[in-house]
Amino acid sequence: MTRLLAILTTLALVLAACGSTPVSGTTGGAASGTPAAGKPIYGGTITFGLENDVSNLDPMLSGLFVDRNIHYAMYDSLVRVDVKGNIIPWLAQTWTTSTDGKMVTFNLRQGVKYHDGTAFDAASVKWNIERYINTKGSSRTGDLSAVASVDVVDANTVKFNLKSAFAPLLAALVDRAGMMVSQKVVDAMGADFTLKPFKAGTGPFILTEAVKNDHYTLERNPDWWGKDDKGNKLPFLDKIIVKPILDGDVRLTNLRTGQVQVINLLAGKDVPQTKSDPTLAYQEVGSFAWSSMIPNEAQGFIFNEKRYVKAVAMAIDRQEILDKGPTQGNLGLVGWGPIAPAHFAYDPNFKPFPKADPEGAKKLVADVGKGPLKFELLVSSGDAATLQLAQLIQAELAKADITADIKTQLFNDIVTLQQSHKHLGMTLIGWSGRLDPDGNSYDFVVTGKTNNDSSYSNAKVDDLMNQQRAEADPAKRKTLLQQAQQIFVVDDPARVWFQFGISPLVTAKQVTGMQVYADRIPRFDTAQLSK
Amino acid sequence: MIRYILRRLVLMVPVALLVTVGVFALARLSPVDPVLVFAGEERDPAMLDAIRHQLGLDQPLPVQYVAWLSHAAQGDLGRSFQNKQRVTEAIFERLPATIELGLAALLISITFALVIGILSAVKRNSAVDLLSTSITLMGVSFPSFFLGVVLILLFAYVIPGRIFPPGGYVPITQDVGENLRRLVLPAVTLATASLALNLRQVRSSLLEVFGHDYMRTARAKGLREGAVIVRHALKNALIPVVTLVGIQIGAIIEGAVITETIFSWPGVGRLAVQAIPSHDYPVVQGVVLVSALSFMLSTLFVDVLYGWLDPRISYESAAA
Repeated sequence: MTRLLAILTTLALVLAACGSTPVSGTTGGAASGTPAAGKPIYGGTITFGLENDVSNLDPMLSGLFVDRNIHYAMYDSLVRVDVKGNIIPWLAQTWTTSTDGKMVTFNLRQGVKYHDGTAFDAASVKWNIERYINTKGSSRTGDLSAVASVDVVDANTVKFNLKSAFAPLLAALVDRAGMMVSQKVVDAMGADFTLKPFKAGTGPFILTEAVKNDHYTLERNPDWWGKDDKGNKLPFLDKIIVKPILDGDVRLTNLRTGQVQVINLLAGKDVPQTKSDPTLAYQEVGSFAWSSMIPNEAQGFIFNEKRYVKAVAMAIDRQEILDKGPTQGNLGLVGWGPIAPAHFAYDPNFKPFPKADPEGAKKLVADVGKGPLKFELLVSSGDAATLQLAQLIQAELAKADITADIKTQLFNDIVTLQQSHKHLGMTLIGWSGRLDPDGNSYDFVVTGKTNNDSSYSNAKVDDLMNQQRAEADPAKRKTLLQQAQQIFVVDDPARVWFQFGISPLVTAKQVTGMQVYADRIPRFDTAQLSK
Repeated sequence: MIRYILRRLVLMVPVALLVTVGVFALARLSPVDPVLVFAGEERDPAMLDAIRHQLGLDQPLPVQYVAWLSHAAQGDLGRSFQNKQRVTEAIFERLPATIELGLAALLISITFALVIGILSAVKRNSAVDLLSTSITLMGVSFPSFFLGVVLILLFAYVIPGRIFPPGGYVPITQDVGENLRRLVLPAVTLATASLALNLRQVRSSLLEVFGHDYMRTARAKGLREGAVIVRHALKNALIPVVTLVGIQIGAIIEGAVITETIFSWPGVGRLAVQAIPSHDYPVVQGVVLVSALSFMLSTLFVDVLYGWLDPRISYESAAA
């Protein structure tokens, strides 16, 4: 008995210690991401707590989001986006597209050098793009599939010849497909380039140290060409240290205790506490990401009957999923389709299923005349948040007499099944999002395309989606995309979209000049650190 | 003795071969396609095929195994699928951090186990004994992922001064003080589970030895109680403890998997944690092989140590 009491007392002490974790006050916590006013502060080191370890620092081979967090600091792309998502000049200062849309000519920034001292010019652009297109195993072939060849016009002008007009090309060149690396460094490093591409970029920071699983050091590039809107030379910081911290609670604790100054991922449950912490600045913006349920609409599968897909889309309560799901009302927005609020083609009035309609769903199922709808819902195993989400959806569908049998399986198993169009019912897998709405929709709804896991096929959708790709006028593209969306979400649904993502950026109060971008990647070139 | 050691070393070869077959097969039992993991969200079939070919995954399994084994026999464990880093380089880059953490944890564990274990055995059924039993139970019951987070929160928010940072690593060559400061929490977390085992072993071994005739003889000779315990009881009681500790030394590499992840400690365990879900076969195979070899070597070391601790154990007759 005495022994038991001792154990209980010890446990109680530990639990009391956990429980006494102070909750931050309710004052403060206002975002301070706007650029610092007055005289700029040069110098200082910022530590950035990254959600996972970097897998590949070569833009050609990188397949994971985390990699891009470092890419953006060390490499420049031909073009970039501003905080509102507009494509802006970067290494390319201007560009013109031929009237038939099949030639895009870029005038390059002059006097730019890679960190290793070699010159950045038109020949370098040609070499980079050809490397991305022609190297076996390159992950950029899809992004650049429209490019037939690249011609050097003169030292500062380069011409992209396209197989056919392709409006989303510029958006692809914002990211890894448009990032320029030094040929000299690639040749010298060989296979080690993927992990230690020292001095390979032209960007605001130079990668000087890469200790996998531990940290990456990026030092100020004193010769960077960038200036802020007041004409101050960028970047301000001396150094950025990127530290992968996998555990979300530990990452936030590191931020709150001053071990790191920037994080860009946190759990929905931690948002209120973070917002109210006077030592932190919290910013967020709608992202390009979406969440969806993916039916298998192939012949012989339940959801070959599209009315069933629509019934599921009508039966779920998107607001409840947002409020009671893993996001807990934070870090998400109710979503209806793949075109997110951060996209130019977003239509705020497109809310096809504004409220859950279980009665309407019941009627649709009854119209099919094959009895109650029952299907298998595949969920990644080992992911408690997704399982919770699936259970919530299951309960909502039950109100419409639709039975979703939840089955857990390894994430990559589900992807493999989905890709081979063999999943029995629906799966629950999201998309991290792309800058251009084409990247968020085309491959998912056009017949036979790589991400069309629902085996969707609609001739009208194919036609509209191909038209928008060739259309140079953004207003006309927007109309075409919205017409297609009406069909593949409502009239002849390809999937059940239910949520958009939100990109957060949390910084220590001493950090200023950082703004949150829809792609969630922190830009350090304008960051300053108060002393 | 040398013959015995050589014989054991030769016997390690078939065991290591079995380990390679086991880990090679286990890694591939999962139906997951590592190319999909490698490619992330990019899923162009032509690109996936090119990656598969480049990684050699389009070859039959026996061909893949023989190719890997022949390189491994020459000390080349291949390159990581994910980042192309040489696996041997990746492992040896992280070994110092893992060994430092493992040895620190072991030192804490053995020190406390000996002190508390002796007190507990000498003062059997006293408050000290009760406390030590409680520690044993707590240590075994607290999983390191829970204890680690509790310690981080405790030192970040409850105990003022933030004496110990919530993770991270500074090489000892760079800053000794900072290295040690960051070492404390992960080492304590890692030590807790083995402390419980070691403490229990020290206590029970001592209690067993206390009942032997030579202990009575030692006391009858008029030796002081301290000398009786240290010189007569402890040396004999240590043999099973040495076995346990030897196994723990061998398990240092794989023992710190969770602790390293929680405390962002860049060791071999964390390397494995990253490699397993991404199906980075060469890294997983390399870590398991090195870990198995270290285990086998530490077992051999323990056996050799027996001879020193207990002169009655002779390997010459066993080898004959």
